[in-house]
Amino acid sequence: MDQPLSLKLASLSQISQHKLEKILDQCGDKADLIIDPSLIKPLERICGVSWLRQHGIEKIYKMDPQLGTTANIIRVYLIPASIKKYKCVLDQISSVLSQNPSLADAKCFNIIIAPKVISTFDSILENRGLYDVVKLHSFSWELMYLDDQLLSLELPFIYKQLFVEQNHSLLSSISMSLWSLFHVTGRPKCILSLGKLSASVLDILEVYNESYSRDFISSESSQDIGALIVMDRDQDYASSLLTPATYSGLLSEIFDISCGHLEVNGNDTKLKRGKLNFTTTAGNPGKNTVITLDSSLDNLYGEIKHRHFSEVLSVLSSKAKLLKNEDIKALGIKEMKEFVATKLQQVTLFKQNLVNHVLVSETIISEMNNKFENLTFTESEMLNNRNKKSNFTYIDENFGTDIHIYNSLRLMCLLSLTQGLSYEEYNTLVSKYLIAFGYRFLYVFNNLITAGLLVQPSSPKLSLSNLGNLSERLPRWQNEFQTVANKLKQLPSKSDDGKSPSYVFNGGYVPLVAVICNALLTSEALVDVLSKLSALSDLKVGGTVIEKLKDGMETLNEKLSNLNLQNDLEFGCRDAKSILKTLKADKLGGFSLKPKTILVYVIGGVTYAEIAACDVIQANTGSRIIIASDCIASGCDLMAANT
Amino acid sequence: MADDDYWNTSETKTKAFSFDDDVLTPQEILAIGQKSYPGQSENVFTSTVSNAKTTLLPLSSLVSSKVLDLILLAQSGKDPKDKPEPEQTVAVTLKRLVLGRSFLLHTHRSLKSKTELLDGAVAIGDGNAILTVVLFLIQTLNKKLVYELLSSRPLALNHYISFLQTEGKITDLTDLLTMPGRSPEAAVHQFQHIVKTQGNSVEGLLRKLNNLLSNHFNQPGVDTHQTKMVTDYVKLLEWQKCANKTELNNKSTLHCLSYCCTHHWNEGAGNMMSPLTLCQRQQVTPLQYDWVVLNVHANSNKWDIVESLFTKKDWLGRTTVSSHIPMETLLSRLSELSASKQMLATCLNKIHNSEDRLRLAQKYKVHSVVIESLAKQKDRSTLTNYKMTLNPQSEEYILADNTLRDASIKWKN
Repeated sequence: MDQPLSLKLASLSQISQHKLEKILDQCGDKADLIIDPSLIKPLERICGVSWLRQHGIEKIYKMDPQLGTTANIIRVYLIPASIKKYKCVLDQISSVLSQNPSLADAKCFNIIIAPKVISTFDSILENRGLYDVVKLHSFSWELMYLDDQLLSLELPFIYKQLFVEQNHSLLSSISMSLWSLFHVTGRPKCILSLGKLSASVLDILEVYNESYSRDFISSESSQDIGALIVMDRDQDYASSLLTPATYSGLLSEIFDISCGHLEVNGNDTKLKRGKLNFTTTAGNPGKNTVITLDSSLDNLYGEIKHRHFSEVLSVLSSKAKLLKNEDIKALGIKEMKEFVATKLQQVTLFKQNLVNHVLVSETIISEMNNKFENLTFTESEMLNNRNKKSNFTYIDENFGTDIHIYNSLRLMCLLSLTQGLSYEEYNTLVSKYLIAFGYRFLYVFNNLITAGLLVQPSSPKLSLSNLGNLSERLPRWQNEFQTVANKLKQLPSKSDDGKSPSYVFNGGYVPLVAVICNALLTSEALVDVLSKLSALSDLKVGGTVIEKLKDGMETLNEKLSNLNLQNDLEFGCRDAKSILKTLKADKLGGFSLKPKTILVYVIGGVTYAEIAACDVIQANTGSRIIIASDCIASGCDLMAANT
Repeated sequence: MADDDYWNTSETKTKAFSFDDDVLTPQEILAIGQKSYPGQSENVFTSTVSNAKTTLLPLSSLVSSKVLDLILLAQSGKDPKDKPEPEQTVAVTLKRLVLGRSFLLHTHRSLKSKTELLDGAVAIGDGNAILTVVLFLIQTLNKKLVYELLSSRPLALNHYISFLQTEGKITDLTDLLTMPGRSPEAAVHQFQHIVKTQGNSVEGLLRKLNNLLSNHFNQPGVDTHQTKMVTDYVKLLEWQKCANKTELNNKSTLHCLSYCCTHHWNEGAGNMMSPLTLCQRQQVTPLQYDWVVLNVHANSNKWDIVESLFTKKDWLGRTTVSSHIPMETLLSRLSELSASKQMLATCLNKIHNSEDRLRLAQKYKVHSVVIESLAKQKDRSTLTNYKMTLNPQSEEYILADNTLRDASIKWKN
């Protein structure tokens, strides 16, 4: 079973396919598949149309509330776990039934829900009298191998549910994706978790482990992954809010990317779409191009994806020069034949990739060129808590002029998290935003506060009654953000040796995941890791490294019976502070770690900048870092989830 | 962006986007990339892409068949066949909930057992289990007891709030949030529900929002600025009701303003459709007003109006000599809107700092200002170099030439 890890990860889609096959087996032959448009791309990564035909699907339709009769009686719906979409399907089934009541007993309605059926779906079904008429299936596809060392569940709605709506119903799907993955790769010895959701994911993972333990393959058989880091998105919002400087990072700022496919729609970009439109004429819908962001298919992309954007055009140019030298005119007939037979396809593909990358780079330049420098300068001033007044002026001016429905909010959030906003400043920005985009967006600011992206300043009237708040109103030398970031060395000083991962934000900031990876990879023992990361308050540790510290094995049953409200469950992981204390007291510290391969899982979407930063760490330490998440999301996408 | 503009912008620009001199231009790269070879056909790419895909491992070498069955079992949430049904303890029920297996909640009848279920679900953190238990409590306990349990368990409360919101059960939600200190939250939830369900019906929105204002946004603890925003919303809807244009219904203030600027530019203050009336009514800042006017009129090529914007009385009656838009932003926008070089020059001349002026003049290629600034700095060598970049025989080239020959300038180099 010892295959290269990358091949194993790419082959996870085989398990997904097998899972779908078993579901379709239960739906019967000659069925129509009715698929939610957002799931087409993920499904393409799991199976093709001909595979579907082999497994009983005759016709495929896009889900549409107005969908009329379809070719076959048996219907198989495939939708994401969204109550709204689910109800829409149930409405449609009810209307089919009202026209043909005899179908109620035919067991011909199936709804496949990705990633899982949540129990409210069951009660809604019962409530509508459709229980036993409609069959629900959970389809928990495995992590998808989008690119070299990059895994994603491609469930872009997870962030909104978890952080904005505060609904953690799909958290167990993340645990399950890890649980399946570890059957293929073996369990990591050391697990670090950062944030409440991550801790819960590990607790739920432990429930899976315990429930199915008798059949789990022994942990010695495969040891592909040495350590696992799970982090909640809200533990490092700065990495989402900052403007990336890497090629792939900027691509995700400007274009829509889903399932590793970038779409170019004429002149339309994410930046243009979010601005106020003063022209009455609609832009001409130019040519559509799809670019697959996968280094195994496009070496050129692999070479430039993590580069600082200022280097990209010179790399592309040098590639073009090489091509030019390979001019075909210089070849004889024999060589020409050989060229056509062996290299032509390769060269043609390469040229197409080259052209695509140049075209999108041009778009990046034309969209960002005038603003990039001032923007990144202001961001870095905010990070370092300098010149708050002029930073606010910059944002206030942006809100008053070239306001963007998402990116302007992003700047406001960054200022709020790094330097804070006064009551008046906050309200000035809110008013301008609502005047520009409509008062109906008032609730957006409450969502941002709930998600932890914005800190609501208290009204001065209220704070006067509370003397304790007086100190908060005085100017402070450092905010909490800078205190933690400085302890973790996330804010580099000017003298940079060129190997710092901070280049992903133009030298301004090191993403937290990179800091944690670095701590793990450069420490001799667990005690060193925990000391280096002691500034993190929500850090927990799990895995076999702390097994010796456990007072015997505790089952979920025992854990629950000793539960009291103030404490966390600590089933799958334990508080890092107390472990550090024990390790120091017992002069233990001797748990040797030295993982060769780390899996990083960000709950709520990872950014391309973070991926690039981890790439620097792995190059510096000669290790391998695999990134996984529920989706790849830019700061713009994060804001969109709050509206 | 026009092709010939492209490379020049990248040359003048910031260090963040600087490139080496011997780098090919994008046009040159594209020319090389798009040159075709004999035998190339259009559909080569798709076939190459699929060919290039790596062959995957067969399932059997990925996981054993026993493990595969286990993975399928976990997805389906079914019970393992050989397992007898264990007794229904709190821990067993919670575990079944987390695993997605069938469960029986009705055996948990005592308040103690119900509380343990809730605490256990919250401790594990699985939202699906939490919500299921909360809904079970709602069914089997009276509201007062449930609310008491929820008020000390914020995670469970949040799940219930989120459930009521997606289900549109807004009355229950308001009822729930009558707990002390929660009424501001209830007001915003109601607001969100209204704007998401009323569509663009001005009448419906007005009725509901007025109701909301008098019943919820006047509660103590509700932020005064939030109340003001809802009041302004009502004001705008009333304006839209009078305007009676379907395309303006429930559109933003600036959208309506740009409509007024396009269609009612010459109507004076006091007139309902006049841009000035709308601005006063909705308290549009002078900056936002200038921005809209600039964009609306530049887009419809009414540059005379744009020009008059710099030297006119604004809607507050003040005489302004310049726009509220900061000069650098104004220049950048004017350049994007392809304003005349003369207009750009006028703006540039308002910049007092000579270094800034020169930098921006170079960025937006306003040659006359560049030449003039260099002459003022008596910097002959830079001007000589700059002349070389200009098109010979062009007006600017001659200007540069004449300036260099001007005997009255005492060049410093």
